[in-house]
Amino acid sequence: MLLIECPWCGPRAETEFSYGGEAGIERPADPYALSDAEWADYLFFRSNPRGAHRELWNHAQGCRRWFGVERDTVSYRIEKSYRLSGAGSGRPAAAHIEASEEKRR
Amino acid sequence: MAAGQPNRLPHGGRIDRSQPLAFSFDGRAFEGFAGDTLASALMAAGVSLVGRSFKLRRPRGIVGSGAEEPNAIMQIGEGAAAQPNLPATRVELCGGLNARPTRGWPGVRFDIGAVNDFFGRVLGAGFYYKTFMWPRSWWKHYEHAIRKSAGFGQAPDGPDPDRYEHMNAHCDVLVAGGGPAGLMAALAAAKSGARVILADEQNEFGGSLLASAASIDGVPAAEWAASAVAELQGLDDCVLLPSSTVFGYHDHNFLTIAERCAVHPGSSNGGGVRERLWRVRARQVVLAQGSLERPLVFCNNDRPGVMLASAVSTYVERYAVLPGRRAVVFTNNDSAYRTAISLAGAGAEVAAIVDSRFGGGGRTGPAGELGARVQALGIPVLAGHVVSDVAGRRRVTGASIARWYGDSWGNVRNTIRMDCDLVAVSGGWSPAVHLHSQAGGRLDWDETRHCFLPAEARQAHFSAGAGNGKWSLRECLADGLRAGAEAVSKLGLKPVAVRAPDTDADDGENPIEPLWRVPAARDADRCPRQFIDFQNDTTVADIRLAVREGYRNVEHVKRYTALGFGTDQGKLGNINGMAVLANVLGKAIPEVGTTTFRPAYTPVSFGVCAGESVGELYDPVRTTAIHEWHEAAGAPMETVGQWRRPWYFPRNGEDLHAAVARECLAVRKSLGVMDASTLGKIDACGPDVVEFLERIYTHNVGRMKVGRCAYGVIPGEDGMLMDDGVMARTGEHRFYLTTTTGGAAAVLDWMEKWLQTEWPELEVYLTSLTDHYSTIAAAGPNSRSLLEKLGCDIPLDKESFPFMTMKPAVLAGMRVTLFRVSFSGELAFEINIDSNDALAMWRKIMEAGAEFDITPYGTETMHVLRAEKGFIIAGQDTDGSVTPVDLGMNWLLSKDKDFLGKRSLQRPDCLREDRKQWVGLLSQDGRTVLPEGTQLIGDTGKPTAMCGHVTSSYFSACLGHPIALALVAGGRQRKGETIYAAQAGRDPLPVRIVSPVFYDPKGKRQHV
Amino acid sequence: MSETGLPLPGVEISVRSGRGYLNLRLDPRRGQALEAAERILGQPVPPAENTFTASEHEIYWLGPDEWLIATAAERVLSLGSELAEGLAGFHSAVNDVSGGHVELLVSGADARMVLAKGCTLDLHPREFAPGQCAQTGLGRAAVLLAAGDPSIYTIVVRRSFSDYLRRWLANAARPYGARFPAR
Ligand SMILES: [Zn+2]
Repeated sequence: MLLIECPWCGPRAETEFSYGGEAGIERPADPYALSDAEWADYLFFRSNPRGAHRELWNHAQGCRRWFGVERDTVSYRIEKSYRLSGAGSGRPAAAHIEASEEKRR
Repeated sequence: MAAGQPNRLPHGGRIDRSQPLAFSFDGRAFEGFAGDTLASALMAAGVSLVGRSFKLRRPRGIVGSGAEEPNAIMQIGEGAAAQPNLPATRVELCGGLNARPTRGWPGVRFDIGAVNDFFGRVLGAGFYYKTFMWPRSWWKHYEHAIRKSAGFGQAPDGPDPDRYEHMNAHCDVLVAGGGPAGLMAALAAAKSGARVILADEQNEFGGSLLASAASIDGVPAAEWAASAVAELQGLDDCVLLPSSTVFGYHDHNFLTIAERCAVHPGSSNGGGVRERLWRVRARQVVLAQGSLERPLVFCNNDRPGVMLASAVSTYVERYAVLPGRRAVVFTNNDSAYRTAISLAGAGAEVAAIVDSRFGGGGRTGPAGELGARVQALGIPVLAGHVVSDVAGRRRVTGASIARWYGDSWGNVRNTIRMDCDLVAVSGGWSPAVHLHSQAGGRLDWDETRHCFLPAEARQAHFSAGAGNGKWSLRECLADGLRAGAEAVSKLGLKPVAVRAPDTDADDGENPIEPLWRVPAARDADRCPRQFIDFQNDTTVADIRLAVREGYRNVEHVKRYTALGFGTDQGKLGNINGMAVLANVLGKAIPEVGTTTFRPAYTPVSFGVCAGESVGELYDPVRTTAIHEWHEAAGAPMETVGQWRRPWYFPRNGEDLHAAVARECLAVRKSLGVMDASTLGKIDACGPDVVEFLERIYTHNVGRMKVGRCAYGVIPGEDGMLMDDGVMARTGEHRFYLTTTTGGAAAVLDWMEKWLQTEWPELEVYLTSLTDHYSTIAAAGPNSRSLLEKLGCDIPLDKESFPFMTMKPAVLAGMRVTLFRVSFSGELAFEINIDSNDALAMWRKIMEAGAEFDITPYGTETMHVLRAEKGFIIAGQDTDGSVTPVDLGMNWLLSKDKDFLGKRSLQRPDCLREDRKQWVGLLSQDGRTVLPEGTQLIGDTGKPTAMCGHVTSSYFSACLGHPIALALVAGGRQRKGETIYAAQAGRDPLPVRIVSPVFYDPKGKRQHV
Repeated sequence: MSETGLPLPGVEISVRSGRGYLNLRLDPRRGQALEAAERILGQPVPPAENTFTASEHEIYWLGPDEWLIATAAERVLSLGSELAEGLAGFHSAVNDVSGGHVELLVSGADARMVLAKGCTLDLHPREFAPGQCAQTGLGRAAVLLAAGDPSIYTIVVRRSFSDYLRRWLANAARPYGARFPAR
């Protein structure tokens, strides 16, 4: 059972979280400008790397915040977990990370 | 009358002779002492035959003294509390214990299976695969016979009467193993202020110290262990867990420990806790689980009386039991010399130490103190010799001894026979690297110690002691101290200096020389069996056969020969097996590789896995505030997600169909009432709430006026319907959203995900109100009259309070929010009320409704009513592959805005005209209620393609005939067409495609 | 031993009734909104994650912009409208959630052990000290757990799970001689 660090609540057992897939998938600003193939790429295709993987987790049984985690898909080591950007930034949160708030394990 | 204890030594041991304990084994009465294990008590009583082997039915005796024991596998106790497959070496003796061998049907002493041994040539590796797998349909017949004669234990015959607990724990340092290294590591960590958990699988801490003749700091080793334990007990935050096996090392330093709490295995603990599962998150771990002695591989090495040398020492020193009177000690390393000394000290005759080493050197034994002590005792040492075979069937009677020339695959000549009733063997030691390996740590083959050693750790753990290849007591103590101190430093604590204790134990040993297979008088495939895995009867010949048949990979060979697949997980045989395989393949051992160890280290009971999540606590049950009324009314319950919902409310012994027919008609004709509290409810508010909901829902949210309700659907980004529900605009910047019962959490998560990750600029707050509000649906032509009778502070007529609007009100003196929405198609009001008041409101409704013959109805009637109206149930009529367009909801899809999933509706696959579309179906015979899931076909030809399936199907009492809803390829264009419903064992039934709205298609009734 | 001669229970479980609850959401980075809320509540809204303040009300941190206010049931209506009014100019949400929660108290020398059976949090007083709270799992239900004075824990659970949780607690506490009032 993984120990995941919620950027607000600290390390908690995996059972408190739900998984949200790969991080950094930006929703296209104008979906209709995309070809079917491009849209399908956004919709269905994920990098699924062997090694470092940035992914979204939700502290579902805790503070209900979504946050980012960098996890090694081979060793399951979590290199860091980080807050997504705050409200009002006007930009997709997944695209940029508040480096100052990154927490290292 | 209990048998005596002929093999019990008059003095010594860690047993309490003042506490005799009566027990039975295989139907016979015996006596042992407190402090015995079942194995030591049996051995004291002179029982040498404890079971039969798995496949060949060969007589077997006790080999080991701990978790590694492959033969003495017992069924303990009877009835509901029985425990199968416990090694006798791990069962602490207690009065009244009743043990039977699991391997020996129909009896240990008379065994029809013994005939297998004579036909054993055909029972080689892969025998089961080759013989019983064909023809496949016969397997069920083979299986029954094989299982019975194979003699696994028997499952208990009733629900377990005892409790099994789970306990979550956290510590700075978890020390696995309480032998010399583990005790030192725990002391080093705990004295430095770390929170420590020390677990050991035995009921007493000390490990090898309990059977050691050495002294530490001037006191006997066992005494030193006791004082170390006492010191640990006095320290804050140090948890000592005896009888506790650390059996799993999982991700992120999460470890699982099984603690045996019950004194009496195999009989009820009076409902008390029998076992406890510790779920430990440790910041650092010290693995000090010791090492496992390896047997030697020679002909008939499985005969009762052939034992591990270390086990022999343990029986003598710890349990005061003499396993034999005249022993041959056979070894390739120094440790067995201590066994010879123990045996001699206990009065046994040691006929010889047969040592494969020193063949050419002219030496007659190891250098140093060990050799000198053996010499002083007059024990003959046969250097450069091996035991190549033993005589005796149910007990060893002698050993054949031959010179060893270093060639495992040659033949021995000129053997001499030596009479004996015990052969104590040591093929060297394998560190118990299981947990290290489970944690992802690498293993390295050590060319001087001839064993796998833990290499780099991948998690926060250290190996120490014999488990780290430190064989001598002095090294073990020092290594434990080192590991404890290192763990403390990693924690950032300052290690308190702890002195390494002094010991008089013999050190400076001669190196082991590998001896993986002893040659026999005949070649390897024709000599008497040489066992590698005792539990699964895997022999050297089996491995050779596997290689001949083309297996090379160790994982394949293991599966083909069943090596390591018993309940002992190959603790004795795995390394020998790999070495023999390497030898046969002409490779080095590390080239053949090691196997991956997985949890559990030793077998774990189902009970302790389940813990207390059994019976009514198996899964959380969610109940509404009105639940107790439903129960009192005798409603059968249906589980929806985790909710328990009343299914129907039978009157006078009605069955489901009668009750549902009555409930449906009551709603259509007068008045029904339903507890709809399980619906998900979300408050959404903020300046950007309209913009946010426009993106989530498909309809024009912004056009809704305050006080208006609307039906909305939520597609996923792939365009498929995810959830649906009614929403109400409760303010300029505020909405009240409802979701399906099962979708509540998922919808909230979905919305929060978009708000938090993609659109953080939108100012919207979402708050779950699911539990706060209870929802009572009053439906039927008399529902308005009901509310008026209850007393309502707002006008309820259709002009003042039209369909699809909502209003706060005071009803029957209680604050409520009324919604004029309908899931039945009738005039209806949904009453939302603080759950604290819901039961009182329900009772008032039932009282006031009496004059309208108010009828409570359950989920089944709700389903029928909505199906008559062609309303979907998300998750029943949809399955994640159905778009709103497929459902005929084009009218809901705004053309004026984007919403999640909209782009996907233009994907070519979503535009296909032959997509399955949602339609109604009528059985042509007017009476068959199609089973839900029924496959639909276009014609009755055979074979024919499937063109859809039934998603919902009921008998409509109101219409007087069955109705069904279905997804049919291109269905909307096919109304009026007849297709066929496949029926098991009968001809396909013709069905007609119709509109999914069966009742009041103009929707007049809900508008009145 | 107690007066009745029965062994003293190591853990006692009770239901705290007569309570009302408000869910408050606002952005604490907007100082004026926070000040307005604190003025109305008469006590600080805890800024630190997983802590609570206890005065007239208990105010529990639920998330970076979310709190649960537990107070006397009869205060909820007025407090709720005062807050709604006072925060009207700010992006905020005040919801009466009184019907949605049940509050349990678990106390006694063995309280920590009983909770540890079903909670993965480290409840060691050094790690989960008085004044701290956490939303976590207990048994198989989601709860808000708060540490009061040593060996007194408050559990706030969603109403629909409360029956399950009471059964779970009663079962977990039985080996510790729990007293559990009948429903
Ligand atoms: Zn959190």
